[in-house]
Order: sequence, then structure tokens, then C-alpha cells
Amino acid sequence: MSFTLHFPTRLEEAWDLLEQGPPGASLPIAGGTDLLLGLDFGRFAPERLVSLSRLPLQRLEFGRDGVRIGSMLPLRTLELDERVRKGVPALAQAINEVGSVQLRHRATLGGNVVRASATSDLLPPLVALETELTLVSRGGRRTVRLEGFVEGSWKTGLRVGEIVEELHVPSPRPGTYQWQRVRPANDISQVGVAVVRHPKNGGGPSVRWRIVAGGTAGSFQRLTRAEACLERDEPSEREVAEAAREAAGEAKFLTDLRAAEEYRRHLLRVLVRRGIERTVRSAATAGGG
Amino acid sequence: MTRPDALPKAEGRVEFGADLSAPRMLWAAYATAPHPHARLRSLSVDEALATPGVRAVLTAADLSALLPKRKPDPQRPLLVAKESRFQGEPFALVAAEDLATARAAARRVRADWEVLPAFTDLTKELPSWPTPEVMKGDDRVNAHVLASRGDFEKACRDADVVHDETYRTNMVAQVPMEPHACLARVRGEDWHVRTTTQTPFGLREDLVDKLGLPTERVRVEGTWVGGGFGGKNEALLEAHALLLSKRTGRPVRLALTFREEFLFSRTTQPAVFQMTSCVRGGRLIGRRTRLLLDTGASLPGRDFALGYALGFTLGPYRLDAWELEGYALRTHRPPFGPHRAPLAPQCSFAAESHLDSLARRIGVDPIAFRRQHVWEAGEKTAFGQEVPPFAAAEALARGQALERSWRAELPPGGGIGIAVGFWSTGTGAGGEAIVRLCPTGLTIVQGEREIGTGSVCEATRAIASRVTGLPMEAVQVEYLDTSRAPFDSGVWGSRTTIALGRAVQKACEALLHDLGRRGLGLGRGHPRQSRRGAPEVRLELFRGRVMVRQGELARPLVALLTSQERKRGGVEALGKEYGRSHDIDRSVVKDGELYPYSDLIASVHLAQVAVDRDTGAVRVERYAAFQDAGHVVDPEGYRGQVEGAVLMGLGTALTEEGLLTPQGRLQNPGLLDYRIPTIRDVPSELQIVAIEGHPGSGPWGAKGVGEPPIIPVPAAVANALADATGARVLEIPLTPERVARALGIISARAPTQEVPGMPPVTPTGGK
Repeated sequence: MSFTLHFPTRLEEAWDLLEQGPPGASLPIAGGTDLLLGLDFGRFAPERLVSLSRLPLQRLEFGRDGVRIGSMLPLRTLELDERVRKGVPALAQAINEVGSVQLRHRATLGGNVVRASATSDLLPPLVALETELTLVSRGGRRTVRLEGFVEGSWKTGLRVGEIVEELHVPSPRPGTYQWQRVRPANDISQVGVAVVRHPKNGGGPSVRWRIVAGGTAGSFQRLTRAEACLERDEPSEREVAEAAREAAGEAKFLTDLRAAEEYRRHLLRVLVRRGIERTVRSAATAGGG
Repeated sequence: MTRPDALPKAEGRVEFGADLSAPRMLWAAYATAPHPHARLRSLSVDEALATPGVRAVLTAADLSALLPKRKPDPQRPLLVAKESRFQGEPFALVAAEDLATARAAARRVRADWEVLPAFTDLTKELPSWPTPEVMKGDDRVNAHVLASRGDFEKACRDADVVHDETYRTNMVAQVPMEPHACLARVRGEDWHVRTTTQTPFGLREDLVDKLGLPTERVRVEGTWVGGGFGGKNEALLEAHALLLSKRTGRPVRLALTFREEFLFSRTTQPAVFQMTSCVRGGRLIGRRTRLLLDTGASLPGRDFALGYALGFTLGPYRLDAWELEGYALRTHRPPFGPHRAPLAPQCSFAAESHLDSLARRIGVDPIAFRRQHVWEAGEKTAFGQEVPPFAAAEALARGQALERSWRAELPPGGGIGIAVGFWSTGTGAGGEAIVRLCPTGLTIVQGEREIGTGSVCEATRAIASRVTGLPMEAVQVEYLDTSRAPFDSGVWGSRTTIALGRAVQKACEALLHDLGRRGLGLGRGHPRQSRRGAPEVRLELFRGRVMVRQGELARPLVALLTSQERKRGGVEALGKEYGRSHDIDRSVVKDGELYPYSDLIASVHLAQVAVDRDTGAVRVERYAAFQDAGHVVDPEGYRGQVEGAVLMGLGTALTEEGLLTPQGRLQNPGLLDYRIPTIRDVPSELQIVAIEGHPGSGPWGAKGVGEPPIIPVPAAVANALADATGARVLEIPLTPERVARALGIISARAPTQEVPGMPPVTPTGGK
């Protein structure tokens, strides 16, 4: 295995490098936390790796409608940012559970989204937060909803020549990320659930709850039947139980060496219930939101 | 005080096995059997050999040409010749100019396998306790042990309560951070290998045996070792690397991948323990253990664990009658091997969970119940040895006091458990060390390697410093290969500080005695230990020079060295420690072998857990280890060993488990789904208490510490879980899903596991 490693500082330069050679000869590398394993196992054999780390893709800006996060900002930076923790707790909690501190110094949101791992802890909160991506190419920019963009492991709507520039995450949004693992630290979640409460859309009848599960089977799953059980800021105990039951009923589950289907179904029910309850509780202590 | 290896290791400057390289070195890789049990119908190396950059491909057919004098042992093939005995057994080796080429070529060694039925699940084919008639002639039986004293069946008849339980434990791997790795070079008659090993001399012996060479032709040179838990004792890959070097005439580097570490380094395999205890009038009167031990693809000779471990299931408790029976069975799982107190954490899990559940059943406080029965020094062990100084009773008393204070603060839903680990350590096969005094300080010349515990690089210096009065900075350790070092049996069995430490202590005392006489004008005397083992003179470093001080006399030691001695680089003294032998009352042994104890060591541990009643997740919140230390030689090293062992034990207790497919293939040979604890899994409170004053046979009464503190961990956690929930989980690890099943949160049996349980035994012994 041998390749050259490039550090372009301008997007134009990056595109020049990425366009060299046949498909697969030039690969972009973000944090590399997954790509390097792929190289080691011979899954990829690029001639050149184009690092995105020195491109201007590291902004972190809070505005009235949310936060704009550069795709190459290390997770560790986000994790340590008080505004992220307060504004988008569901995302902050999930980031805190990705790998180890060392890994989070390397890993990025952009890399995680494009890798689109079935067991990603970050996709459920990002989808529940109704995140939008800005994609940039020689031809210009476009904005897409994350929810429709991710199709499966390594499969996204990213077009040839496109780079994820930034993520736009609505904020503040009360929410939480609940997960369960065999080993609490540095493991893959048996089930992860993001719950986020969005405010009324100008004149809409109710708040919007978003409940997204990960780790249960294949890619993340939005649990719309469960969401439909919740219409109020503070749902009743009965509504919460109903949502948890619906979630366990509508999600798909698999049995693998990390957990049996039956246990995953049970976990999802518990974690959805806790997710809703904790969202309500944290929103109350944070003074609404 | 900072350890001498700390900074070089932090800076990446020490050379571990995997770092070794040499000019013109070739890289080697294995081709390994994909099936646990299969017949090798044909083998073709043409494609591998034709790969550009490949310099050699070795198979079993090449061995006789390379080792004409070796008598091959069909039971222990160096490479698969006819039949694979476990998944991952090597059948070919490739040497190439670079690693990627070697690995790619290894995949091109074409093998045609006929898959044979694999025996990988003890409980599947042996659904109930096998009688000797059933097992007679079964060539899968590596060992059988039967031993007893008193009338167990009568104890059962006399008992108010007979308590039966069956406990299970699963496959646990060793997972050193540094994989096995070596650099081999054969030049003429010199078969030289540099390797990451705990036991250079033991490895040499193993190589001599495997290669059929004279001992003096084989030279083993250890490197710094990145973790050794018993798996770096035997010659796992060194023979292969040497053969490739012999074939190619070039240095050859061979290292295991992590996948290979899981598949063919040494592991602990599953065990089933049927425990029966009898109580009369609140007193434990009888106990029986029946143990089925999976020894994987190991051959007879690796069965020591059965006879050694079985005794520990009786616990350090007074019993009128007991019976032990065990079978070590050969299966097609990865080979069993020595592994930090081999099988003792599993034995303790079964025995101490069982004792705890018995105490709760009869309504007695579990700690009080243990205190009521625990051995004191001077009484007899189950095997008829006299109990040497032993801190179990004191540790239990202190554990009980701490338990009371924890219980006063216990949050609702939490639980506290206690468990006793009991182990024996000694001097192993003995060891020797030379100390050399020169004008600038003292050098310890020896043949062990530092595996990370500090027992070689730090404790030996602490001992020398204490005997001679020299500051630690003036003492250094020299590491020699097997052709030059004084013999030592290696870093295993918690023996280093005991045996090498005593050898160093004796060598220093001999040196002092000799020099002290000279310094006092007494002439050159023979090295002799003073009557009470204490030195008669003290040496001190004064303005950079070693001084001998006795009363008013103070002279630089240099002045005592003759000009000849200075030219030779100093004076030396040799210390030897071969311990003393012990024996048991042989009349208890009916079949097989039981082993005597040397020093006895108690580990009394307390765990406090929080249990998530909705998910089954168990979190250890507080932990305390009361350790029978004898005497602590190196406090920092001691603490490190206990912390490391507790954490490793928590892995065995909570998360670590090798999972096999129904066909017997390991599903999780990697660090992603084989979960060792991380730094974030360390309990937020971890108290370590070294109890001194119950001396062992090491320097100043020191006892071994490498193994004992891992032993009670799984039982302590399981007992805390039972305390919190009232539910007893009969199998480790206590993963959330397994606990959820035991608590009735979800159905009791996992869908993928079809494990027919062994029926409980009847009180009268299964008649």
C-alpha cells in the first residue's frame, strides 16, 4: 500500500487533486477514523489521499435560526463548546459518546455523515434536529435535508465533486440522546435514540417531536408513529407510554452478536420513554426552548 | 519516584517486539485454517511463491529438510499437516520483502479442506455429568481429577440444607496491547531470536523441544514486553520465524495480527461448575465441585489448570467433608493456556457466588458466614498442608467494617457484594541474579524482561537499594540473553519479586558481607548471610561515591576495590533462590493430580453496583480491594498491579466474551466486539488496601501480587448484583442482555444459544 497525502488549503485546489486519475484513485479524507481502517484492511487502495483538514471548513457560528457547523470541525471542539451543549443537547450528548477523546480530536461531523455508518451515534440526533447540509462543488452550492440524503452505509446523495461544506442545525432545541451498550465507553450502541422537540411552525397546531433510532437494524430509522403520539410540550404519562409502545412496534430490529432482536425492541421502548421524559425535564429546567 | 522505563515508553523510545528490524529483513505472515476442524486434502503454494517479492513459502512438507535431526511429534505439529485442530491454526508461512506482499501471498496459498464436525460446546454433547464409564476411552479427555476427604454423601444426608447450583463461565482472551512479535536470525549454528517474552529461558526450552536442537545452539533475547498475562511464555511463533530465516538466510520478522492473537495465542475457555454445599446448624459441613473445563485445542500437559484450580473452588474454608471431580476436555476451540491466575477468577465466581447464595438462603450475613469458616494460620488446608501466614480473616474483618459504612450510604436500588479470592504463589522454578558493584553504583545482572509490572525494572532495584543503602538512582538493571544471563524461570505466576527479588537480596547481602569485612580490615571472607538476613554494614552514596559505613568508619567503597577488580569493572556476587518444596496429604487424591500450595494469599474485594432495572445494565460505582501483601516492596508497583488486575477482572465480570458461531468459528476476534475495559470503565472510587504482617517467602515477607487481585472480581460484582436485585445470574460476563434475562425483563433464554442445562445433582451424589 502506498499513496501520496495532500493538504490543499483552497477548495479549487482540492477539486484539482480529487479529479486526478480514474474513480477511486483520489479519495478525500476527513478525520480518517474509518477510512484508515479501510486502508488497513485493503478495502480501499487510493493513489492519493486529499485531506480536507486545511480547507476553510471549520466554522462554528450561532445565529437566530440555529448553528452552522463546518464539516471539518473536530468533534472534540463541539463537545467542549458550552453553546452546543445548551443549544443542541441531543447532538452534544451523542458526540460525547463517540469513541474516545483521542478519536474525537480527529473525527468530524462531515466525515460521519458521508460515512453514513449503520451504527452511527450522530445520525439519529442530526436527523431528529432536522439538520440541513450545504454541499459545495465547482458548479456551486446546494442545500439538502440530511434525512433524505443518507441512504445506507457509505451511500449518500453526495454527487461526484461535491464536498460537505457545513451543517445547519436548528437551535436551541430541547432534546436528548439515549443509548445502551455492552460496554458503556467506546463501544457500538445496541440501540441509540434521539428525541428532539421542535417549536410550533408559525401558527401550527402543536410542537413537533422527532424520534430517531439507530443501531437497531440497518441505518437510522425515524419513528413517525411514535412521533404522532405526541402533540404537546409536555405529553401525559399515557402518551409517553403510547409513543414508546409504537416505537417498539414500528421499528425494524435485527439479532446480531451485539444484541438479540427481542432485547433491542425492549431497549428501544425504554429509551424512547426516557428520551421524551428527559427532554421535557431538561427543557423545563433550561427555562423552556 | 519515576520508573526508569516511564519516560522512554511515553516517548516511544523503547523497542517492543513489533518494533524490531534488521538490515535485509524479510517480513513473514501466516496462512491459517479457516475451520475449527477440517482435513487438509491438498495444498498448493505455487501461486504464493510466484508472487513478486516472495522469498519463501513453508508448509509442513518442508520441515524435515530444514530440521533433519528433529523427531516430529504428530501430536504437536509445527504446521498443520493433515488436520486442523482449531480455527486459525497455521498451515503455511510466507516470507517476503514487505508485509503487504507477505500477507497477500499468504492468502494465495491454496488449501482444500474437508470440513469435519467440530466439538466446541461442552454442554452440547455432554448434557449431564459424565460418569467415568462414559468418559473412559474418550480421547478428548486431557485430564481427570478425583479427590475427596471425609464422607461427602453422609454430609449431604446429615445436612439441614443442601444447596445445588450450576455456574458457567465463557471464553476470555488475554489481549496484551502488544501482540506477539519476534525477529529471528539463523547464522551457522546460532539460532538467535529476539522476541517479546515473559520467560526467555522457558521459551528457549520450548524451542529446543520444538526444533530438536541442542540447548546451547538456541539463543533467546527478550525485548521490552507490552503486556504479558501468561500468553507470552511458550514459543508461539519463534520456531516459525527461525525456520524461515534458516530457509532464506535472512533475518525474518514475524508478528501476530490482533485477529491471530484471538485465534491462536492462549485463552481461557468455557467452564461449567456444579456446586453443592451442605449446612447443618448454620455450619458448612460439606462441599462438592464438579468441573467441566474446556481446554480448547490444548494437548495433555496443559491440564495443570484443572488440578491446580479445582482446589480453589473449596475456598479457604473449614469443611468436614469435600469432594472434587473435574474433566479437562480437548475441543476445537482456541488453545487454553496460562492466563493471569489461570481459571481462578472463574473458580471464585462459581464458589463465592455459591457461598453467597447459600448464606442468603439460610438467612445469614454473607460476610459473617465467611468469617465463621475462614482458615487461620496454623490449621490445616483441605489438602492437609499447614496454613502459612494468611490474611484472609483480617481482610474479611476489615471488609466487613467498610461494607457497613458503604451500606449506610447506599442509594436505593444499589447493592454491595463481597468475595474472597484465594491463591498461592511461590518461587516457580527458581532463579538467580548477579550484582556487580563498580565505583559509580550497582548493576543487577539478570535474565528476565520487564513486562510492564515494574517487578524487574523497579522492584529489584528497590530491593538492592534497601539492602545496600544505595539510593535507587545508583542501581541499574542489565538484561542479558539466555547465553549470558544467570538462569531465571521468568515473569509468571506472581513469582518475580519473590524469586528474583530474593536472589537479588541474597546477592547484595553476599556482596556486602564480603566488602564489609574488607572495609573493616577483616580480609576477604566468603560471602555469607548474616544470621537474621540483615546486612552488617551499610553502603551509602556520598558525593557521588559509594561509601561503606560502620560505626565511625567511613571509606569510599572504591578504595576497597583492588586494581584488578577495577580493571574488571567491579566485583560481583551471585544470589540464588530455588525456594523449598511443599507437599499435600496424598491420600486425598483418587485420580489425577492436585498440587501443593506455597504462600497463601487472600484477596477480599467489595463491589458496590447500580443496576438499571429497565435495561439490565450494571455499573460498578465503588470498589475496594483488601490484599494480603505480606510486605510491600514497591508501593507504586504494588498499587499498579492491583488496579490493573481489578480492571481486567471487571472485563471478565461484565463485558469480555468470545462468541462462537454454531460451526465453532469465533465471531469477534478483534477489539471492536471483544470488549476489554477502557479507562472510562474504571469505578469512580477504587480503594486499595495492602495488608502487611502475614509474611510470605519473598524479600522481607513479600507475597506475589500479579495474579491474586484479579481472582475475586467477577464474584464480588455478581454478589453485589444479587444484593441489589435478589436475582442470581449464574453465568459471566454479566452483560446487560444476560442480566435482563435473569431479571425477567425479557425472556430467560437467548434465541441464538441453544444450551441444554445440566440437571441439578441430587444431594446423594447423583444416584
